[in-house]
Amino acid sequence: MHDSTLVFAALILPALGAAAVPLLRRARGVLAVTCLVTLVDVLLAAVVSVSVLRKGPVAAAAGWLRVDALSATHLLLLSLVGGLSSLFAFVYFDDELQQGRLTLRQSRLFGSLWCGAFFAITLLLASNNLGVMWVGMEATTLFTAFLISVHISRESLEAMWKYVLICSVAIAFAFMGTLITAAAAPRTGAPSALFWTSLLADAARLDPRLMRAAFVFLLVGYGTKAGLAPMHNWLPDAHSQAPAPVSALFSGFMLNSALYCILRYLPVVESATGGEGGERGLLLALGLVSLLIGAGFILFQHDAKRLLAYCSVEHIGLICVGVGLGGAGTVAALVHALNHSLAKSLAFFSAGRLGQAFGGHDIARMSGAFRASHAWGAGLLFSLIALSGAAPFAAFLSELMILKAAFDARRGVLFATLLFGLGLAFLGLLRHAIRIAWARSDATPRRLPDRAIERLIVGATLCLLLVLGLGWPENLARAAVSAARIIDGGSAAALAGILP
Amino acid sequence: MMDGVVDRLMVLLILSDVALLGMSRLGAVIGLAALQGALLGGLALSASGETSRAVLLAAVGLSVRGLLFPWLLRRTARRAGVQRDLEPFVGYALSLLIGIVMLGASMALGARLPLGRAGVSNLVVPAALFTMFTGVFLIVARRKALTQCVGYLVLENGIYGFGAASVGEIPLLVELGALLDLFVAVLVMGVAVYRITAEFDHMDTQRLDALRG
Amino acid sequence: MTTALLDFLTALALAPLLPGVIARVKALFAGRQGPPLLQAYFDLCKLLRKSGVYSTATTWIFRAGPIVACASVVAALALTPAAGRTALISFPADFVLLAYLLACGRFFTVLAALDTGSSFEGMGASREVHYAALGEPALLLGLLALARQTGTMSLPSLLGRASPLAPEAALVGAALFIVLLCENARIPFDDPNTHLELTMIHEAMVLDHGGVDLALIHYGSWLKLWLWSALLAGVLMPVALKTIVTPVPLVGVTGVLAVALGIGVVESCIARLRLLRVPHLLATALALAAVAFILGVR
Repeated sequence: MHDSTLVFAALILPALGAAAVPLLRRARGVLAVTCLVTLVDVLLAAVVSVSVLRKGPVAAAAGWLRVDALSATHLLLLSLVGGLSSLFAFVYFDDELQQGRLTLRQSRLFGSLWCGAFFAITLLLASNNLGVMWVGMEATTLFTAFLISVHISRESLEAMWKYVLICSVAIAFAFMGTLITAAAAPRTGAPSALFWTSLLADAARLDPRLMRAAFVFLLVGYGTKAGLAPMHNWLPDAHSQAPAPVSALFSGFMLNSALYCILRYLPVVESATGGEGGERGLLLALGLVSLLIGAGFILFQHDAKRLLAYCSVEHIGLICVGVGLGGAGTVAALVHALNHSLAKSLAFFSAGRLGQAFGGHDIARMSGAFRASHAWGAGLLFSLIALSGAAPFAAFLSELMILKAAFDARRGVLFATLLFGLGLAFLGLLRHAIRIAWARSDATPRRLPDRAIERLIVGATLCLLLVLGLGWPENLARAAVSAARIIDGGSAAALAGILP
Repeated sequence: MMDGVVDRLMVLLILSDVALLGMSRLGAVIGLAALQGALLGGLALSASGETSRAVLLAAVGLSVRGLLFPWLLRRTARRAGVQRDLEPFVGYALSLLIGIVMLGASMALGARLPLGRAGVSNLVVPAALFTMFTGVFLIVARRKALTQCVGYLVLENGIYGFGAASVGEIPLLVELGALLDLFVAVLVMGVAVYRITAEFDHMDTQRLDALRG
Repeated sequence: MTTALLDFLTALALAPLLPGVIARVKALFAGRQGPPLLQAYFDLCKLLRKSGVYSTATTWIFRAGPIVACASVVAALALTPAAGRTALISFPADFVLLAYLLACGRFFTVLAALDTGSSFEGMGASREVHYAALGEPALLLGLLALARQTGTMSLPSLLGRASPLAPEAALVGAALFIVLLCENARIPFDDPNTHLELTMIHEAMVLDHGGVDLALIHYGSWLKLWLWSALLAGVLMPVALKTIVTPVPLVGVTGVLAVALGIGVVESCIARLRLLRVPHLLATALALAAVAFILGVR
C-alpha cells in the first residue's frame, strides 16, 4: 500500500473504533475490540514510521498531514508504548470484569475514549499544520479526562477536575502562542501559511520579538501538559488515580507528545531569533527544576503510582535538559524518551496489577510483591531499577550520554546539578524498589493467575530494556540523529561522534 | 467610523471584565461571559470585513459563545443548585483593584508587542489581553468549580478576540476545530462539575484536597 | 467674572433647596405628600436661633471643626464651575486643590468627632476616613482621565469640553455618581432619614454639635452636595447644552437640579447596602475611573 494511504488509515481506524465500540453488547467484547483496533493502529503507525525513517518524509491530504523523521520517531514510540498498553489494558480490565468491578457502561466509556485518545495523538503527530496540532493536543486532554475517573470515586473526581482545568488553561495558553506565531507569519492568505514546512522555510523572516513571546506561551502551555515543574501539580494526582493502563499511556506517551509540540516549534523560533532568544536556556532551566523537584519528591512517597508520577517529572526534566544542550544531547534525549517510556509503562503495568492483588497502591502494603505474582513483582522491581538509571538497563546509557553532552559543553555547574539530581532519584527509587521486593507487610494479597500473555509483556519489555542498555542499534541511532537534525536545524551533530 | 464602533465594543469588553471581577452571582457571571461572546462576534465581523466566511464564523461563534455555553452552564448551575460564589479566595473589592493593575499591564504589553493589524483599533489587543488575564484570575481566585469554568470561558474569549484582531486568516478548518474543542471542553467541565456535586454535595474546589504530596 | 460670581452666589443661596428636591422626589415615589421644598431653610433658621452646648471634655478643636468644614467647602465651591462656564478661581490643575479642600473639611470634622471622646462618634469617624480613602482616588483619577481626554488641566475647560458621548466621560460620570452618593451620605451608602443607627457614617460624627455649629455643618453638607452635583452635571451634560449663553446661571442650576432628581430616583429604587459591601461598591467606582484613565493614557 501507499504510505500516504497508511497515514490516513492510521488516523481513521481509531476514530471508527471510538464510534463503534459503544455499540457492542458484551463488556469483554468491548475490551477485545478496543485492544484489537489499537493494536492494528499502532502496527500501521509503525509501518509508516519505519518507511519514513528509511525513505524520507511522507505527505498526505494536500500537505495537511506530513510525517517526517521527528514525528516518525514519536510514532514509533507510540507504537511500542501504545501497543503494550492496549494489550495490558485488556489483561487489567478483564481481571476487573472477573472481580465484578467493571460494568458494561464503564467498559464502553473506556473503549471509546481509549480509541479516541489514539486518534488525537496520531492526529497531533501526523499534522503538518500548527493549528491542527493544537487541536490534536486539546482533543487528547478531553478524551483522556474521563479515562481518569472510569471508576468514580472522590479521589478520582478530584484528580480529573484538576487535570481538566489545569491542562485546559495550559492548552489555551498554547493556543495563544499558536496565534502569535500565526500573527508573525507572512500573510499570504493561503492555508499553507501555517504549515510547518512553509514556516520553517520562512522562519528567518518572522518577527523575533513576537516569536520570543510566542515561545514563552507555548512553553508554559505545552510544558504544563508535558508535566514540567513548576506546572506539574496535576500530574501526580492524575497518574495515581487513573487506572493503570491509562497511567501508562499518560506517562509513557502523552507527556512525550506534549514535549513533541515544543520540539516542533524550537527550530522555527530559533531561526527567527537567530538562536539568541535564550530558548535553550529556558528549556534547560525548566528541565533542571523538574529533575530536582521530581527527584526530591521521589524520596518521600508512600503511594507507588505517585512515586512513578514524580519519577516521570524527573525524566521529562532530564529529556528537556538533553534538548537544551543540543547536538549530542538532543540525540541522547530522544533515545532516553524511548527508554523512559518503556520502563515507565512496565512499572505502571506492574504497579497496577499488584495494586489489584493487594487492594491499593500503598508501598507499605505492597511490600513483598513477589507473593502476589512473580512476573509482575519482577516487572516492578526491574523497571524501578531501570528507571533509577542503573546499568545494565537502557536508561543508564542514555543518561550517561546526556551527562557526557553536558560535560563536553563545559557546563560544570549544570553537570554537577544533573549528577546530584540523578543521584538523588537513584537513591530514592532504589530504596523503594528494595522495600517493594523484599520488605514484609501484613497484607495478604490475592494470588494473581500466571498467564502467558502477562509474562510475555514483562519479559519482552525487560529484554528490550536490556538490549538497549548494551548499546544503541545502528538503525535506532540513525533515526534519533535524523530526528535531532530537525530539532537542531543546521547545528546537528554527526552520527559518528555520538554513538556510545 | 468603523474604528469608532470597534473602540466602543472594546470598551464594553473591558467593562464586562471589570464587572466579572466584581460579581458574585453565578447567573450574572454566566450572562457576562455570554455578552462577551456577542461583543467578540461583532468584533470578528467588523475586523475582517463582511465576507461570507467572516459572517459564517461570526454567526457560529456567536451562537456557540453567546447562546450554547450560557445555556449549558446555567443548566449545570441549576442542577447543582448553586447561586453565588461565597467567600472567594480574593475578595471582590480586592479583585477589582487587582483588575486595574491587570488592565494597566495589558495596556503596556499591548503597546509593546508589534501586534494588531493595520486598520483595526489599537484597543483590541490590550482588551483581549485583559480579558485573558481576567479569565485566569477568576480561575485562580474563585472557589466554586462552576465559576472557574466561566473563568476558562473568559480566557478563551480573550484569546479569540486576540486572534480576530491580530491574525485574521486562520484557515476555516482550524478555526472550526478550535471551536469544537472549546465546546467539548466546556461540556466536559460541565459534566465534571455535575459529577463532583453529585459525589461531594458541593463544588467548593478548596475542599477537594484529598490528594497531596 | 461677574457671571462666575453670580453662579457662586446662586450656589450659596440655592444649596439648601437640594435636600428638599430629593425628599420631594422620594415622597412622590412613595405616594406621600412629603415635607415642603423649603424645609432645609426652616431648619437653618431654627438652628441659628439656638446656642451651642459644649462639653467640658472638648477643646477648641471641637469648636473649630464645623467652621473649618464649612469654610473649606465654600472655598472649594469657588473652584467649581457651573456647567460650561468659568469658575470664580481657576488655574491649571485646580482640581487637585479641590480634592484637598474637601479632604481638609473632612479632616476637621473627623478631628472634632474624635475630640468628644465618644466611642460612637469615633466609629463614625473611622468609617468616614475608610470610605474617603477609596472615594478620593476615584475622584482624582476620574478628573485626571478627563484632563487626559480633553487635553486641558483646569476644571472649567475640562468640564466644558467633556462629552458624554466619549466612553471615558461616561465612565467617569458613573464613577463620580457613586462617589457622590458616598461622600454625601446618601442611599445606598447611608440612609439620611434614620438617626442614631449603628450603621451611620456622616451623621454619627456630628451628634454632639448643636445650634449654630450644627447649622454650619448642615449648610456645609448641602453646599458639598451642590458642588458634587455641579461637577457631575458638568461631566454628563451634552456639549451643545453647555455652550448656551445665558446671563443668569440657568443651565448650571438646571443641571444640578437634574442630578438631585437622579439621586432621588436612585434613593427610591434601591435599598441601603450592608456595611461590609460598601468598600466593594467604592472599589467599583475606583475601577471605573481607573479604566477611564487607562483608556485615556493609551
